Amino acid sequence: MSFDLLILMMFAGAFLAYLISKSNSEAGGISTVVISLISLVLLLLGKSQVGNEFAILYMTFKVTTIGWYFSAVMILVYSMTSFFNSYWMKQMLYPNAYNFLYLFSLAGTVGLFFAADLVTLFIFWEMVVWSSTFIVPLGKSRRAAVVYYTISSIGSMATLYAIMLLHAKSGTFIISEAFAWLATDPTMATIVFFIFILAGLTKIGIFPFHIWLPLAHGSAPHTFSPVLSGGLVKMGAFIAYMSVGVLPAYQAFSGSLKIMGMPIQIYLLMVLGAISIVLGTLMAIKQDDAKKLIAYSSVANGGYILIGILMMDQLSCAGSLMHLFNHAIASAAAFLTIAVVAHRTGTTKISELGGMIHRMPVTFTVYLISIISLAGIPPMGGFVSKWLIIQGLADKGLLFMALAAFFGSIGSFLYVFRPLAAVFLGQLAPKNYELEGATLMMKIPMVILSALIIFFGVFPRYILEVIGEIQSSIGITPIQLEGNAIQAINGLLNSYHVFVIFGFGFLISLAIFMLLQKSRKVGLMDTFTSAEFIHTPELYHYSHDFYAPFERLYKNHPSVENFLVNIANKFDELGQMVNALFFSHKPSITVFWITVVTAIIYLGGARI
Amino acid sequence: MNLMNLIYAFGLLLFAFVLQTSITGINRKVIARLQRRRGPRWFQQFIDIFKALSKSSTSHGWIFDFGVVMALGGIMATAMFIPIGPLQALPGLDNIFIIAYVLAVGMLGMAMSASGSGNPWASIGVSRALTNMLAYDIPFMVVIFGLIFAYDTSSLSGFAAIQQEGGILGWNIIRFPLGGLVAMISLQGMLGKKPFDSFIAPAEIASGPMVEYGGRHLGMLFLLHEFQTFVEVSLIVHIFFGGGATVLEYVVKYALIYTFMNIVSNILPRFKIDQAVTFFYKVPLALAMIQSLLIIVTGLGVA
Repeated sequence: MSFDLLILMMFAGAFLAYLISKSNSEAGGISTVVISLISLVLLLLGKSQVGNEFAILYMTFKVTTIGWYFSAVMILVYSMTSFFNSYWMKQMLYPNAYNFLYLFSLAGTVGLFFAADLVTLFIFWEMVVWSSTFIVPLGKSRRAAVVYYTISSIGSMATLYAIMLLHAKSGTFIISEAFAWLATDPTMATIVFFIFILAGLTKIGIFPFHIWLPLAHGSAPHTFSPVLSGGLVKMGAFIAYMSVGVLPAYQAFSGSLKIMGMPIQIYLLMVLGAISIVLGTLMAIKQDDAKKLIAYSSVANGGYILIGILMMDQLSCAGSLMHLFNHAIASAAAFLTIAVVAHRTGTTKISELGGMIHRMPVTFTVYLISIISLAGIPPMGGFVSKWLIIQGLADKGLLFMALAAFFGSIGSFLYVFRPLAAVFLGQLAPKNYELEGATLMMKIPMVILSALIIFFGVFPRYILEVIGEIQSSIGITPIQLEGNAIQAINGLLNSYHVFVIFGFGFLISLAIFMLLQKSRKVGLMDTFTSAEFIHTPELYHYSHDFYAPFERLYKNHPSVENFLVNIANKFDELGQMVNALFFSHKPSITVFWITVVTAIIYLGGARI
Repeated sequence: MNLMNLIYAFGLLLFAFVLQTSITGINRKVIARLQRRRGPRWFQQFIDIFKALSKSSTSHGWIFDFGVVMALGGIMATAMFIPIGPLQALPGLDNIFIIAYVLAVGMLGMAMSASGSGNPWASIGVSRALTNMLAYDIPFMVVIFGLIFAYDTSSLSGFAAIQQEGGILGWNIIRFPLGGLVAMISLQGMLGKKPFDSFIAPAEIASGPMVEYGGRHLGMLFLLHEFQTFVEVSLIVHIFFGGGATVLEYVVKYALIYTFMNIVSNILPRFKIDQAVTFFYKVPLALAMIQSLLIIVTGLGVA
């Protein structure tokens, strides 16, 4: 099926889901699964259509490898998450609207990735922003939706301005022509680069635009947080890719000031990426809400993705493009496991949970696999992509970025371990003794995602081959693969061999364990208690302030939120003053104005 | 890679076990002499490990068992990547980042198993151990980053080969003294020796992660500890002390460095965990940044 029909079918599917949900909301939830899965299959089968051009009404599209890759990531995350939709229909205020917007935003992203002209790009961008804005308040908070929309519109308006500016100067809306024209004009290229990439920064959640992520991810419906973190955030990466790859940034900035070998325009944005990594990591470490924790980890991972894309080289760029896939599936899987916990217990607060492994072992295993990938530990996918990014940074000697990358990488061990220890491990509260685990319908997507995380960690070449095509298409050296091995300039990684050796070590260890004397099984309360008598499992569970000594070191940190709230308050005060001075019925104000006018007339009357 | 490589790797693994366990035993004697005791026999450590492995134990559920198996498996896999002098079972897999992160699999397994026991002391210990890791790993990684930039290689055998060309003056500890110092301090943190051993503080949090273990579980964790020490000390021998042209040279360097770290550990008191973080971010991190900037900007010390 050609992709114009695919996009139209997805929009039609959104309306169909709306109609089905009208009569039966749970059937509507199932319809989102069917429609998104069909779209996924059609997209994956249509890889050969790369290079085709088509138009719907006045909107023009071109199928590119990068667009296909991003669409595949997006539809994968959407289709896996959609398995959860039908379970949340009862909690939604407007279930039919949810199902409609869910598929509508998916269709919007696919249109965005294939757009060939800037106007089409903008139209689809807005479709996604609007539809997701209306889904977020279906969760816990309306304020989150307001913040999400405000930050998104900063990006949208900037993009619109950049598009108009570019059209005024170059006289065309066609993306490739308009951007190619910029290579000749470094000043204009700098302006367009910064304004255009702003939309990407807001969407990825790069500092100082990160504030919407924890709010929106944390309070969106549990079924939409995986999509926000795994999917929609990646739209920003797409815009960033266009600003550096399609817009010939390095060519245009070849005459600018260089810092550590990088043009200053690029380096400045890299610094923002590095700040996001450090900030996301530090904030994630201290969160008590598991969803906010993963949201802040998305901020940190967004920093990696941005830095890698900005490098636009053989290693880091490939690592970054791979990382966005790895992060998408790993963070979606992690959010889904938290959704299961929330579905069964009604809370996502880490300090209120514990011992879930004894009630939901499959969910625990999926969470474990997803965090191993999020933390970038072999043999999962996250390791390969982080390794590529760091080897690329080492090749260029970008020390400060590397410092942030190391901090984020080790720091991620801390924050991903916290829900593992406090939500899934530890003591199980007596009120949860009879808790049920995930249903079969919930297990399907979680198991598929875990399998993908492991598969692409062991055989990264299946993704890196596609990424190699993307790199060739914009004229940079593609990543070098020899079988399963990745050959970098300054290192070699054969993740299949790493996996085999790890398996070998595990087997030896298992053999030692099995050959020795069997152990006696005892309960969780049958532990060393320093000779105290403890009868309340909830109290015998370490989950509050998990990293208290470390958190104390930065508890008085400055915060962008406070700064923005202060600005908002000042703005409000200004409005109140204007209101009080000009739109008041108080006699004192009237007397004040009469006095002022009389004084002016009296003092300068002769000249008036 | 074929079956022969795996058998070879297993052989080196056994060698590493015998090497490190003997050196631990000898070190128990060295420390005893420092404290004017006679100390146990040099093979006491073997006896302790095999005794623990043979005793009965209790288990707190499948994750408690699985975590231990995963931890030991992960650390043994890491140990197999390490070349011992000129002997290398798995060429091409000794990339430093692979080693650093496969090592993390083992640590994660152990942390998971400890928290799975349901004992809060264990979780407190794990929280401290991870915080400690965030402190010592970053200065170390920054130094390694500078070295990778300087030599365009990130394999242990590659580093060793480059240093062996220049004799003792070619060793990175001589060429990059600041970086070498940072790496030695970080090694002290990695080994969990004083002053960075607050996560196992026996009197305060009942040995932290180790609190619930006994019998075969404890025996396997002893094994894990020996392999982990082997990996960490080997990193420093390869990256800063020129590796070893012969096995004997390697073993001598290895034993001297480990004994030195152990003696230093025994004359120091213990940092609180937040003091350790502050210390690592103030002194070693600053030195590491200076060292790496010198390498990247001026190329000072690069052959």
